[in-house]
Amino acid sequence: MSADEPTKDIPCEVVENLGAAAITVRKECTPTEQNPPMAVGNHISTPTAPRFHPPPTTFWSLRARLPQRRISILGIVGALMFFGLWETGHYFLPAEKARFLPTVEDVFKTLFYLFLDKGYTRDVLVSCYRIFVSFFAACIIAVPLGIGMGCFASLRALVNPTASGWRYLPATSFIPLLLVWFGPTDLAKMGVLWIGVLFFLLALVLDNTEAVLPELVEAALTMGASRKEVVLGVVTRAAAPAIMDSMRNMIAVGWTYLVIAEIVGANEGIGAVMMRAGRFLHVDIIMAGILTIGILGVLTDVAFRLARTYLFRWAVAQRG
Amino acid sequence: MKDTIHPNPGENVVEEDLSAIPVRVDQVTKQYFGDKFTAVDNVSLDLKENQITAFIGPSGCGKTVTLRLIAGLEYPSFGRITCFGETVRGPGPERGMIFQAYTSFPWLTGLENVAYGLKINGVGKEEREEKARKMLKLVHLEKFEKTLPKEMSGGMKQRVAIARTLAQNPKLLLMDEPFGALDAQVRWEMQEMMIEIIERERKTVVTVTHDIGEAIYLADRIIFFTRQPGKIKADIPVEFKGGRRYPRKEEMMLLPGYVELETRLFAMMREEIHGRVS
Repeated sequence: MSADEPTKDIPCEVVENLGAAAITVRKECTPTEQNPPMAVGNHISTPTAPRFHPPPTTFWSLRARLPQRRISILGIVGALMFFGLWETGHYFLPAEKARFLPTVEDVFKTLFYLFLDKGYTRDVLVSCYRIFVSFFAACIIAVPLGIGMGCFASLRALVNPTASGWRYLPATSFIPLLLVWFGPTDLAKMGVLWIGVLFFLLALVLDNTEAVLPELVEAALTMGASRKEVVLGVVTRAAAPAIMDSMRNMIAVGWTYLVIAEIVGANEGIGAVMMRAGRFLHVDIIMAGILTIGILGVLTDVAFRLARTYLFRWAVAQRG
Repeated sequence: MKDTIHPNPGENVVEEDLSAIPVRVDQVTKQYFGDKFTAVDNVSLDLKENQITAFIGPSGCGKTVTLRLIAGLEYPSFGRITCFGETVRGPGPERGMIFQAYTSFPWLTGLENVAYGLKINGVGKEEREEKARKMLKLVHLEKFEKTLPKEMSGGMKQRVAIARTLAQNPKLLLMDEPFGALDAQVRWEMQEMMIEIIERERKTVVTVTHDIGEAIYLADRIIFFTRQPGKIKADIPVEFKGGRRYPRKEEMMLLPGYVELETRLFAMMREEIHGRVS
């Protein structure tokens, strides 16, 4: 029945004959005096009962969904508590030891002083260059190789036993070797960062590739996909968001190797500045260096997260 | 049963013309772990053109393995499978498959997903999109051309997968518990949609299910598998439907013969569950 038909005589019960059995189907109701309007379709009734007050969300509410405002406030409070603890530490230490734990404002002042008077910008840029170039060099090998190993069992069998062994070798133990080979060059420093990232990234990419739903591959195969299409068009695309997450986690590891990599024979870079400061007991400079690495690390993390959200809008939320 | 497959056991089977038979499973055995586990034990069967066949049986009876062997996703240990006379040596677009897991590619929109199979087989953009639109309409998703799978319900994702498979116009449609992951009401809706589509597109279909009601509603022929080793226990033509397909499930349920068949299959299933130690 259409909407512009007269509504007065429409019966509420419409009987439909289905085969042998007569089944009564309630099809459409017209609001009349006998049939008051019901909460059906897009008609939402006005609540008549008093509002129900659930127990309020407290700090210890189990797995509660917090409003964004409260999440932000708690985050800021947490950071303030950390700086407060640090500041308190300074004032509780005896005077002769207090200079080994400078105040928060001293460290920030030193940071500005470094940037303004000591050419710290160049050190930061040199460190960033070392991190990003060595990380890129690790990705160029680990990502295609990991995907390949996830797709081809023979390649995996060929590479994996050796690569797994490498993961147990501390990257720092290669510093003497790299110094003998390359001298106190950038190559030696980036070599440490590269070794530190490469083999773990390879293991993670392999994992991400193997986690691709086998049915996606099988579906592509039953549609006549070539091997190349399966590897590049299905497996790589399906694993890409997870690989991006692995890269984000591994560049964090790269940052943690920075100071060690810049320990020997470096006169530029955040690590070099910190090591030099250490020799003269400039605790404020060391802490400013740590703070710099922390800030740069967070910025890298945010950049990777944004890139992932932008590049893989089709994917569901990320882990970690 | 065996007689219909090898009318004259003495004759050389190779000389028989198989090109009119959609699928012949010829004395197929599938073993795993060397020969330690036999999943499919010497199974032979022929499928008829434009028929819907349901493989049914308890879990671990080899019904899914048999389907995967027909799809070419696995190879038999012994015997041979032919599809319109061609020996199956791997998967191919003429044997379209629908899986229980949602296989619509999450990085492609509804339309791109349906066009995917055509794209990788070299069909031009305009032609494949026109075809994909038609297929989306067939599964009642014409309004979701630009929607990503993450914004779709399970039933919608599965309809995209069905449209994508059909877009390639496969000679054979293989379905591995296609509605197993869906809730009861959506499953029933999908069954009716499937009947509508198969009736329109005239397909030879094999569907694997453990849902007796679904098997009776969809199939023209039900093949009941028994467990460990996987053999055919019974080959049951669904005669009470009189060769008709019913767009509404309840219409079919009212037919005389429905309850008898359902009861018979339930009894067989019970026998399978309690009759063996596993």
